[in-house]
Amino acid sequence: MSADTHDLTDTTTEEYGPDDGLLVLDHVTKRFGGLTAVDELSFAVDEGEILGFIGPNGAGKSTTFNCVVGRFPPTSGTVYYDGEDVTGTTAHRMVKRGLARTFQEFRPLEDRTVRANVALALTPDKLFSMQGLSGATRQRANELCERVGLGDRTELSPNELPHAGLLRLELARALATDPKLLLVDEPFAGLSNPEVERISELLLELREEGLTLVVVDHNMRGLLSLIDRAIVIQFGSMIAAGSPEAIRTDAAVREAYLGGDEL
Amino acid sequence: MSNDNTTGGGGLARRLNPLRLPLRHRLGLLGLAGMAVLPRLVSTSFVVTLSLAYFWGVYAMSWDVVSGYTGQISFGHGVFFAVGGYTSALLNLGYGIDPVLSIPVGVVLAAAAGLIIGVPALRLRGPYLSLVTLVAPLILTQVFIFRSDVFNGEQGLSGVSPLFGLQTFGGEVAFYYVAFGLFVFVLAVLLLVTRTDAGAVLTAIREDPDTVAASGLNPSKFKIMAFVLSAAIGGLAGAVIVHTPSGNASPTTLMTITVNVEVIIAAILGGMGTIVGAGVGGILLILLREQLAGIAWTVPVIGQPVSDINFLVFALITLVLLFVMPGGIVRTAIIAGRRVLDRGSGEDTVATDGGTAPARRVYERYTDRLRAAFGGDDR
Repeated sequence: MSADTHDLTDTTTEEYGPDDGLLVLDHVTKRFGGLTAVDELSFAVDEGEILGFIGPNGAGKSTTFNCVVGRFPPTSGTVYYDGEDVTGTTAHRMVKRGLARTFQEFRPLEDRTVRANVALALTPDKLFSMQGLSGATRQRANELCERVGLGDRTELSPNELPHAGLLRLELARALATDPKLLLVDEPFAGLSNPEVERISELLLELREEGLTLVVVDHNMRGLLSLIDRAIVIQFGSMIAAGSPEAIRTDAAVREAYLGGDEL
Repeated sequence: MSNDNTTGGGGLARRLNPLRLPLRHRLGLLGLAGMAVLPRLVSTSFVVTLSLAYFWGVYAMSWDVVSGYTGQISFGHGVFFAVGGYTSALLNLGYGIDPVLSIPVGVVLAAAAGLIIGVPALRLRGPYLSLVTLVAPLILTQVFIFRSDVFNGEQGLSGVSPLFGLQTFGGEVAFYYVAFGLFVFVLAVLLLVTRTDAGAVLTAIREDPDTVAASGLNPSKFKIMAFVLSAAIGGLAGAVIVHTPSGNASPTTLMTITVNVEVIIAAILGGMGTIVGAGVGGILLILLREQLAGIAWTVPVIGQPVSDINFLVFALITLVLLFVMPGGIVRTAIIAGRRVLDRGSGEDTVATDGGTAPARRVYERYTDRLRAAFGGDDR
């Protein structure tokens, strides 16, 4: 057994407290009927890092993700964000606390322009507000589009954007909510290698600006140069954690991917 | 919203300055001014017809704010008209309360009905919500028949005091201004709500509630707001109409299937998801219906006068209009007008919600959910 798997054994038995990281999962379990999708999963995300959250298809990545962002509550276990217990907090409240997400399948509002999509995320959550009509909101939305590389496409409809453009729009919408932690769901699926590089650069720049990132993916393609650390899960449990290089050579990880996806 | 409005950035007063408004808004104001002086120019019978038409404009606008904007199709909006109307009528008949006081009570109870249907509706999407709204008026009608001693069954309540003590005969012009005032008031309130940020959020909910939540906005809060606002305004229209000669507290005026369906037709015909379109649609619907009822010309082959089969003719005309103008009359007119004026820059979208034919979008989402619900294609 390698040193990394020993590390891993330590991490799974360890108790996590609210202050162990910006985002902390402590024995999070999610069951759907008789199926256990996430099984006693515990890990922490440190402030300022880019964490890769990796696992084969069906490993429970999305379910874990959804428990964290508040799409549904975990069956048991605790989620801490920024030192507070946020288990079961609804999606929009998590966003207001500073935890934003992107959708893997891209979910823009197709009835309005790219800029209007971003502007909506700048709108205050109040029943009566005129902020969206002000020039400042428009200006800010333009800046965010510029930031993610959509500066020249603010007037387009989302369905005129290419695949990578939709990912950029997802990022712009998430950034508009002024997050501290950004969960990026499978950003590189369907992207060409040069596009992967450009998006990676963007994510690294965002980290430089103080954002903490969790990047979910089913393999390591494109992640090696991007992430500081990776966590690998299978059948809802963690099977490895460590530096990207160590993960690639880890015996348990190779086993998990044997005959399936190339890691 | 149009380009000149968003970049303007100035205060509300500046934004509402008639001279700075886009042409279509100026035309709209001109239209309202024309409607205000109309009773001086037309016959009394047309004044009476128009009064009813304004109520229908309000009905259709109240439907539009929830169904046109959030995409939750209500097939039973008459429930809210009925709660408002019957509440006010019963208070007036039973306790002699003046309409000026009983109407607000009707509005409050209608808003409560909106809450009762709207809150459970948060858990229901698409077809399921529609089923609830379809059944609700049937239940209410049965209650009215079951307790005929209170509600007088299908005949409804009569002998309700007219608003402001006006006379039914001779007061036609005064009642016209009651209806017109209500129309303008509701139009202003709903434009204010939908042209500010809430409008953009409501149409976003129609597109994808999860995206709205991911944008840090609470979709449930906005959905309930739309439901309660819609119900309150529907209740207001229902409560006012029973105190005018345009209607009485009966299922025919407020709640039959014909009412529920015609409200939807009016809103879609005029332009769903625009408020203005729904208001115009409601007015045109009544004018068209009344016109058809007055045509004595006999249709060849069938051998029936148009006036006898007016609802059939009306439905056929509606069908044709929906095919020709899927986005509604107001949208089509604006696009045509823009083409004529050659101002067709892509920026200035038709409705402030930036909607491209919401009727089609709502329909697509609706059928998607139907398919998902009934497992049409192995999903």
